[in-house]
Parts: sequence; C-alpha cells; structure tokens
Amino acid sequence: MGSHGAIEPSKDQIWLKEGSLWRKLPLIGGVLGLAGLAGAFSQMGADKQHFWYSYLTALAVFLCFALGGLFFTIIQHVTRAGWSIVVRRLAENAMITLPVLCVLALPVVFMGSHELYEWTHAEVVANDPMLSAKKGYLDEGFWTIRMIAYFVIWSFLAIRFYSLSTSQDDAAPDAAISKAHSMRWLSAPAVLLFALSMTFFAFDAMMSLDPHWFSTMFGVYYFVGIAVSAHAFLALVSALLRRSGYLNGVVTAEHDHDLGKMMFGFTVFYSYIAFSQYFLIWYANIPEETRWFAYRIEGDFLYLTALLAIGRFPLPFFYLLPRAIKRSSGALILMASWILIMEVIDMFWVVQPVLAHHHAKESGAAMAIHVGAVDFLCLLGVGGIFLAAFGWALGRKAMIPVKDPRIAESLAHENF
Amino acid sequence: MAAFKDELDPISGRKVLVENNLTFAQVTDAVAAPIEAPSARWWAFFLVSVSMLGVLVVSLGWLFWEGVGIWGLNNPVAWGWAIVNFVFWVGIGHAGTLISAVLFLFRQKWRTSINRASEAMTIFAVICALLFPTVHAGRPWVLYWTLPLPNQMGMWPNFRSPLLWDVFAVSTYFTVSLLFWYVGLIPDLATMRDRAKSTVRRVAYGAFALGWRGSTRHWLHYEKAYLILAGIATPLVLSVHTIVSFDFAVSQLPGWHTTIFPPYFVAGAIFSGFGMVLTLLVPLRKWFRLEALITIKHLENMAKIILVTGMMVGYAYGMEFFIAWYSGNPYEQYAFANRAFGDYWWAYWTMVSCNVISPQLFWFKAVRRSPLALFIISIFVNIGMWFERFVITVTSLHHDFLPSSWDYYSPTIWDVSTLIGSFGLFFTLFCLFVRFLPVIALAEVKSVMPIADPHYGDHGDGHHHE
Repeated sequence: MGSHGAIEPSKDQIWLKEGSLWRKLPLIGGVLGLAGLAGAFSQMGADKQHFWYSYLTALAVFLCFALGGLFFTIIQHVTRAGWSIVVRRLAENAMITLPVLCVLALPVVFMGSHELYEWTHAEVVANDPMLSAKKGYLDEGFWTIRMIAYFVIWSFLAIRFYSLSTSQDDAAPDAAISKAHSMRWLSAPAVLLFALSMTFFAFDAMMSLDPHWFSTMFGVYYFVGIAVSAHAFLALVSALLRRSGYLNGVVTAEHDHDLGKMMFGFTVFYSYIAFSQYFLIWYANIPEETRWFAYRIEGDFLYLTALLAIGRFPLPFFYLLPRAIKRSSGALILMASWILIMEVIDMFWVVQPVLAHHHAKESGAAMAIHVGAVDFLCLLGVGGIFLAAFGWALGRKAMIPVKDPRIAESLAHENF
Repeated sequence: MAAFKDELDPISGRKVLVENNLTFAQVTDAVAAPIEAPSARWWAFFLVSVSMLGVLVVSLGWLFWEGVGIWGLNNPVAWGWAIVNFVFWVGIGHAGTLISAVLFLFRQKWRTSINRASEAMTIFAVICALLFPTVHAGRPWVLYWTLPLPNQMGMWPNFRSPLLWDVFAVSTYFTVSLLFWYVGLIPDLATMRDRAKSTVRRVAYGAFALGWRGSTRHWLHYEKAYLILAGIATPLVLSVHTIVSFDFAVSQLPGWHTTIFPPYFVAGAIFSGFGMVLTLLVPLRKWFRLEALITIKHLENMAKIILVTGMMVGYAYGMEFFIAWYSGNPYEQYAFANRAFGDYWWAYWTMVSCNVISPQLFWFKAVRRSPLALFIISIFVNIGMWFERFVITVTSLHHDFLPSSWDYYSPTIWDVSTLIGSFGLFFTLFCLFVRFLPVIALAEVKSVMPIADPHYGDHGDGHHHE
C-alpha cells in the first residue's frame, strides 16, 4: 500500500443518486413482496400443504442468498482478503436481510410444521418404528428451539458485522482501525457458528421433510449452493450497478475475473459434492438411502434432475472456463443469473418431490410436478421482501466500505 | 491504533515475506550452503534414516519369503496396518500439491518459501504409500495385472472396484506432482549448475536444467507451463483422497458407508500433510538458518490451515456420530458406539485428542508463533491421523455382520517394523533431497522479495532515496 497513491472514488460512483431506480428498490420490492405474500396466503385455503411446501422452497432460496452474503463477508475477514473489499459491502447488504427473512421463517415454525413434517404427527410416529427411534431428535419442541436458535445466531452475526462495517464509514481513523480489528477478531468464531447453524438448519428444515432418509453430506450440499450463489449474486449486482453508472473504476474487470473464478471453482465443488453424495448411495444400493433419489428420478422429476445435472455442472463449467468470459461483466450477468435460477430449481428439487411422492403414493399415479400460482407468489413474496431489505441497505450507506484499511489494495487490485 | 499493532498480522498493508532485507545473492548463498557443504548433522540424520530403511528391506524380504501371514491380519480384519499406512502416507502427500497448486491459484505468495520442500515431501510420501498396496496384494511381481493390459489369458481388472480407481488416481497424482516439482526446479537447477565447482556437478545439474539460461522467452514458457500444471493439479488434490475414501464408502459396512467421506478424507489429508510439513520445516529452517525465508508468519499461516482443516475433520466426526444416531439404524449406532466405547476406545480417543483437541491450541497467537509448540503439535497431528485410519479400518471390520467371527486385531512385530521402515524410506529420500537440491524455490522466492518490487526504495513522493 501507499506507493501507488490510491485513487479516491468519487461520491456519485459509490452513493445511489436521489430518484434513481435503485433508490426505489425498497418500495418496488416491498409492494411486490407484500402483494406476493398476500396472494400466496390467500391461496392457502386451496391446498394447504402445497402452500407450505412452496413457502419453504422460497425461504430456502432467499435464505441461501442472504447466508451467502454472511459467508462471503466472514470468509474475507478470516482470510485477510484484499481483492474483495470493493464488493464486500454488497455482500453485507445481502447479509443484513437475514433478520427480516428470519421473521418470514417464523410462520413455518409456528404454523406450517404439521403440513410439512410428517414426524410432527404423533400417530404417524407411533406406527413407524424408524420414526419412533428418532423421537429424541425429531421432537417438535426441541425442533422449534433449534430453529429459533439458528435465526438468533444469523441475525446476531448479520447485525454485528453490518453495524461494525457501516459505522466504520464515518469513524475517525483510530476507531476505523479498531472496528476493522473487531470484525477480523469475530470472523473466526463466526465461521464456526455459521457452519454448525447452517448444517443443522439444512437437516431440520429440509432433510427431515423425508424423515427416513439421512446423509452426512446434506449440510455440505446446502452450503455449496450458498457459496456458489454468493459469488454469482455479487457478480450480478455489481455488474448491474455499473450499467446504471455506479462503481465504475471501483469494481473492475479484475474483480469480475476473481468473482468468475470463484463461481467456476464452487461450480466444480458443487458437482463434486452432489456427485459424491449420489454416487455413494447409488453404489451401496441400500433401500433406505436410495429412496430419496429414487423418487427424484421418477415421472416428471427425472427431467428436473437431468436439468440440474447439466445446468449446475457442464454448462457453467465450460461457459466460465475462458478468461475473456470471466473478465466481461456482460457475459457474467448471464451466467450469474443462470446460477441463481439453478439454485431456485435446486431448492425446489430438494423440497417439493417429498409432497409429490406423498400424492403419488396416495393416488397410485406417477410422480408429477405441480407448479401452481402459489409457487410463483411465494417466490415473489419472499423475494420481494429480500429485495426491499437489500435495496434499503444499498441506499443507506456508501456501496463500498470507504474506511476499510485495505480498500486501496482492493481498488488497485490486478490479476497477473 | 497502537493497541492493535501486530507486526506479523498488520491491519493494513502486508508483512514482507523475506525478512532482514536480504539481497538476491544472500538468499542464493543461504539456500545453496547446505548443498555445497553438508554438515555433520546431515550425516547423522542420513545414517539413522538409512538404518531404518534397512529395517524395511529386512521386513519386506521376510514378507516376500513367508507371505502376508507374518502380519497380524485375521478374519474378519483382512485390512490391517498395510491399508492404514497406505492411507496415512497418501494423506501426507496432499499438502505439497495443495501448496504448489491451490495456493498458487489463490495468489498466496507466502507459499514460495515452503512449496519446494512440501512438494518433495509429497512425492516421497506417495512412494511410501504405493509400497503398501503393492506388498499387501501378495504377489508384487504380478502388480502389472492391476493395469488393463490386453493379454492372452483374457483377464481384466474389475473396473467397478474403487481399488482399481486407486491405481489410476494415485499414479496420475504421482506423475503430475513429480512433473510439477521438476518444472519448478528447472531455474534453480540452472543456478546450481552455474555455481558448480566440479565437472560432475556441473554436468549433472546441467543435464536436468535442460539448458535453462533465464532468458525472457524461457520465463514466458515457464510461467505458462506452471499455471497450466497448477490448474491440472488442483482437481487432483481432491480426486486422490476422494478415490481413497471410496475404497471404504462404497461398501455397505456401517462406519465406512457414509456420504461425507470424500470431502472429509480430503480435509484430513490436507490436515495431516501440513502436520508433516511443520514436522520437517520447523527443524530444517533452524538448522539451515533459513529463518528469514521461512518466517514465523509462514509457520503461523500453516498453523491456521491446520486449525481449519482440523475442525473440518472434527465436523465430519461429529456428522458421522450425529447421523448414526439420527438414522435410528441400530447397526449404524452400534458401529459408532463401538468405536468410542468398544475394544478400541483408546484408539478412538487418541484420534480425537490429537486431531480435534490439540489443534484448538492454535486459537492462541502465542502458540501459533512458537516453533517449539508447532513442532510438538505437528507430531500429535501425525499420530492422530495415523490413528484415524486405524480406527476407520479396524473398528468397522473387527465386529462385522457375523458375531461368531468377531475378533480382536493386534499387529505383529513385522507390522511395526514395516511402518518404521517406511519412515526410513521417507526420511532417506528427504535427506537426499536436502543434500542435493535447493530446499527453497529460489527463483520464486526472489520474485516476492521487497527488492523485487519495481518501487523498491521509492517512498511514494516521487524521489529516489539512497
């Protein structure tokens, strides 16, 4: 640092202008969100179970994006990363949606659990020796406490890191250093808290939808979706902001290149995790494990599984391989959007087949994908609220942490 | 600001990677010194290592004469120490490529001081690893049967067996690691050639330096080749131990069949590899007086990687236990209860203490920065990771599906002598390495030194001082 004489980014590059469309994000998101939620809840009467499965899908998707912000933020502190500081505030803005999303998750805990989780029904458990054996963990009271604990941990970490980082913007030099030090100090225990809470949330909210099935890899599977989405989200948002005339000369092709590399790397890691989980279960061929995959390759779901297999690995892999693609924000917008859409489909694929399987078993018909208005309304509702909270944070502060002690290193960052 | 002043971990800017303001020539001299004038200490270590290698030769001689019956194998524990040692050594062989390939792609410049020795360690560890399945197969002279060679007997290896995939995975890994190491060595071999005082040295280093003259064109090719090799080697860091984990995880045996095995094995391998790197480099930097090149900061970074990977391993232990309980499956539950509280409880708790508990000391800065503490904990890591493989292999096998065949496995003297002998092979090769090749990648280290910076001596005010 120092010798290059860092260029101070001008205020109009890092602050949203009054009256810009980005400033209206809280309003747009809020209206869409509330309309979506109202519409979705009004559909509840038609098919209660379908509503809750759709709602959980939407929640899993946007929690993934918000947790992606949290993961990105803490990992940059813990690794002392320099390159990423110019996009870290965007990640922090995604992360601060966590407290809001956790409130949106409360209905699942207090209203939806009986529609979602068969192990909450005492008579089902009593007639099923395997579920009876799991009573110690799959217990409604204990489950509720655990879910609340995850929400408290995430909200605490999000608020703590967000407030340290944003208050650093206006702090005196000494105080700015001390805040940087606090974030660095907290980041290591935060990684631990994140890993454990994210894993058990994945078990409790998604794996226990099919309570007979279990996989030690499942927490890692949810994590890898979070990791790849986090980088895709940052690539997408920073590119869109540049198209609106912000962050020019701040987030450059060099940062795009790195975000692209990380998207590429986590795409490969996703394939590795997803394939290993599938392959080990397929090879050993134990019925209590294979069933989870078996009904995901039945009927319509086969096409969805095939789409994921292609859309989450070969497609992004070959697309992101050339250097020129990773250095073009336009090309990255396309792949980042694709990766985020794939995450939506992935969460649909994790959550919804359980319900379809119940229906298929009852009616004796083939597994069918039922996508109704309620699915879109739930995504719109939860997504709208996510966008509103993100937009609020985006307009509230500068779009980069201006007083970070290493901001100059990030601004001057170059690949070689 | 003063309250947070930390020389090794500055809040802004970066710590220099080579200390004491050394010049290029001083660095070359420091690294070349042990090669040009071996110390008495080197001879002492070399002779001890060669004696241990003798133990290996005797053990293998007796093994080939008598057969694997000299080991403690029994039914149901048909995989004993040979497999434990194989996985142990393969695991150690992971740090080198992680440092040279993955850290290179992540632009972690501190890797330049430690990559050469770690890559050498990797290659020697993989040699030790390959030894064990070779001799365990019973008839090493027909080892080529594991390769899919067309033959008049119409015999083919079983392509569905992960043991065959191991043959491909480990041999590919060995080949690429060796190439990577050699490509990195070329500029330094040329340096040694140019410094040589005897004809033998000049010709020997010169032949392997491939006519390197350090022209811009050479460097251009070199940098490209290095980056491509790093890209190719990175998936290999994951694939080798993934395939090794498949050896266990594709089975239906409780304790072996669990989906987290692939990333868990990879994390464990990196953990054990860095443990061994510390075991080797902490004494080496002191005896060869390389403290300004392999600084406390380098050691601290390695300690952090050990802490992270140690907790990943701890996470995997936890997940295995949790899911065994959560599954409600009595066989799964028994397998894990038996691990922790059965006949081999002592092995299990040795593993947990060494791998999960001892690295927790690295939360403290003072421990991370004390070479002595690092050395001691690195020994614990080595022990713990050997026990991890022992626990996985033996505890799941010794109580198999048929209680009447349950048996207690104990090693014989020949199991022990073969393991000790493999350390002899490893240390002999490492001694030869430090005797004849530069233990630090000279060309790479020079590129990250303060004086390599084009702005060196320029204080940002446009004037040149000194």
